[in-house]
Amino acid sequence: MKAPRATSTGTTIVGCIYDGGLVLGADTRATEGPIVADKNCEKIHYLAPNMYCCGAGTAADTEFTTALISSNLELHRLSTGRDARVVTAMTMLKQMLFKYQGHIGAALVLGGYDVNGPQLYTIAPHGSTDKLPYVTMGSGSMAAMAIFESRWKKGMTREQAVELVKDAIESGVFNDLGSGSNVDVCVITKSKVDYLRNYRKPNEREPKEQSYKFKRGTTAVLTTEITSLVDIETEPSNAGASEGRA
Amino acid sequence: MVDRYSFSLTTFSPQGKLVQIEHALAAVNQGITSVGIKATNGIVIATEKKTPSPLVDISSFDKVSRVCDSIGVVYSGMGPDARLLVNEARKAAQKYRRVYAQDPPLPILVKDVAAVMQEYTQSGGVRPFGVSLLIAGYDHHGPALYQVDPSGAFFPWKATAIGKNMISARTFLEKRYSPRLEIEDAVHTAILTLKEGFEGVMDEKNIEIGVAQMQEGMSRTGEKVQEVIFRVLTPLEVRDYLANLS
Amino acid sequence: MEYNGSAVMAMKGDGCVAIAADRRFGVQALTLGTEFQKIFQMNKYTFVGLAGLASDVITLSDQLRYKVKMYELREERPISPETFAHLASSSLYEKRFGPWFVEPIIAGLDPKTGEPFIASTDLIGCINFAKDFVVSGTANSQMYGMCESLWEPNLGPEDLFETISQAMLNAIDRDCIAGWGAVVHVITKDKIVTKHLKGRMD
Repeated sequence: MKAPRATSTGTTIVGCIYDGGLVLGADTRATEGPIVADKNCEKIHYLAPNMYCCGAGTAADTEFTTALISSNLELHRLSTGRDARVVTAMTMLKQMLFKYQGHIGAALVLGGYDVNGPQLYTIAPHGSTDKLPYVTMGSGSMAAMAIFESRWKKGMTREQAVELVKDAIESGVFNDLGSGSNVDVCVITKSKVDYLRNYRKPNEREPKEQSYKFKRGTTAVLTTEITSLVDIETEPSNAGASEGRA
Repeated sequence: MVDRYSFSLTTFSPQGKLVQIEHALAAVNQGITSVGIKATNGIVIATEKKTPSPLVDISSFDKVSRVCDSIGVVYSGMGPDARLLVNEARKAAQKYRRVYAQDPPLPILVKDVAAVMQEYTQSGGVRPFGVSLLIAGYDHHGPALYQVDPSGAFFPWKATAIGKNMISARTFLEKRYSPRLEIEDAVHTAILTLKEGFEGVMDEKNIEIGVAQMQEGMSRTGEKVQEVIFRVLTPLEVRDYLANLS
Repeated sequence: MEYNGSAVMAMKGDGCVAIAADRRFGVQALTLGTEFQKIFQMNKYTFVGLAGLASDVITLSDQLRYKVKMYELREERPISPETFAHLASSSLYEKRFGPWFVEPIIAGLDPKTGEPFIASTDLIGCINFAKDFVVSGTANSQMYGMCESLWEPNLGPEDLFETISQAMLNAIDRDCIAGWGAVVHVITKDKIVTKHLKGRMD
């Protein structure tokens, strides 16, 4: 028997370090085979107040893996009394993914700011990791990397980095079939995070010119059943009496 | 022969009592006083921070602890026992979050913690906890305050105190409490209650205060939301409150 | 999915939601029944539609109802459709490596605010929060097409009924293994209207 297909995120996800922070970026398309399952999904997941993580691959796996690690990081943070480090999150993620030998299909871009400044990692589904100043992942990784390789330079400003990340994601959106819709951006700096949901919307749908409303009664109905949900509130019998006394 | 029933934790005395649990309560009543007060727009818990010697580094430990974003706890009694319970409470909160993607409502968390404490009154090879807890947060009606005892019994309060000066503190609160109290006044009242039995000079280092309040915050994906936040006041804030008192 | 065949969808309206499903029970090309229930009421305002393997539809609906009842006894309040979506999602992910062969659709009103809510998840619990419509089942591409063209914002309960009914009927007419009549529930704050639709029986 053929199993139903799980939702996956074809996906372009990227990250880029600049002087004083880092920028994460993602497209917003989720797919089920050739079908677009969600036109505006969120792929930048919360890990900790100083850390976010982009996910590509099997959508449920990226969602639940990041949620689990986020939960463990919170416990870690509460018991140590300080912010968790990015390496800690990276190690927790890679150990979990390695344990599952690639069966958890999560490809991640992890970015965060800790005592060692801004850091960026990629984590592959089998648990291998890379630490680089700019990274891309997902089916649109080549399209996005082309932008980084031709335009990335050392010591960029925040504005330059956001612009570059936006262009890298748009490159994935327009050149990779698995990626599409909008651009989400997340800027992480020391003690501040700016989550810019739908930072760019290059593919907005035109409003419909005509209405396809049907005349009421068009549909042939066999049976109708109406369940009334109106609550019947009865006044307590002694309510009037106590009012009178007061 | 008189104390035949005082050692086996799980044997009722002919008077129908589990004396070990009563002894545990006695341990709590020797503990440092903690108070909790419900206000119209928030809730405050506070305690003294007493050490056996002035040589102890008082800044190295906390007595008011965060359980999750919206819930906090303070204890009277044995510190090590409280640490274990706080840990269990945090784990329970995360367990709830992993299923429902939201913080547990206060009554649910209280029941979870109470269940742990009850288990230690009926299991072999263990002793009851030598602590009572005050747990602060919000339920469906607004701010709420619960006390949990070593037996696993729990009670909701408008305002209460536990520990050494419990009796005089409660008498004080009975006189001072008003259901129209706002959070700022509640913090003042909490400090005044602690002052009742305080030995020495109160300053920002030897008391700890935690407050839960509904406030505008940022969701993890950058949207503005109304949420309950529990936080421990910084020594600077405590100093301001103390300065306003005199 | 193709073993039994199914079609479920939900739509958001103005202060209301609608959820619809076909009623066929069949094994591959052989139709065995035309009164199979695929939409289940979890509480006053929350409905779940399960498309997929019929045996799993029955078992999972029972299990979800059990979890909802336990939640409501424990918390002494009705579960909101959004919380239910998370509960369903984590229940599905629990079986990550031996999943239920179902794709749930959740529709309901928030019991406190009356805010409409719809969502779908895949078989391992990845939630899709939509602001317009959600579909699942063997007729999903047909349903996507119908919904994309027929749905419009701010439909009242009567118009939403016509829209979801026509979207559903026309979609299942282009799917061999779904159809044989359909059922639609329109949920508003004060009532639930359940209608069985007349559909092609071939």
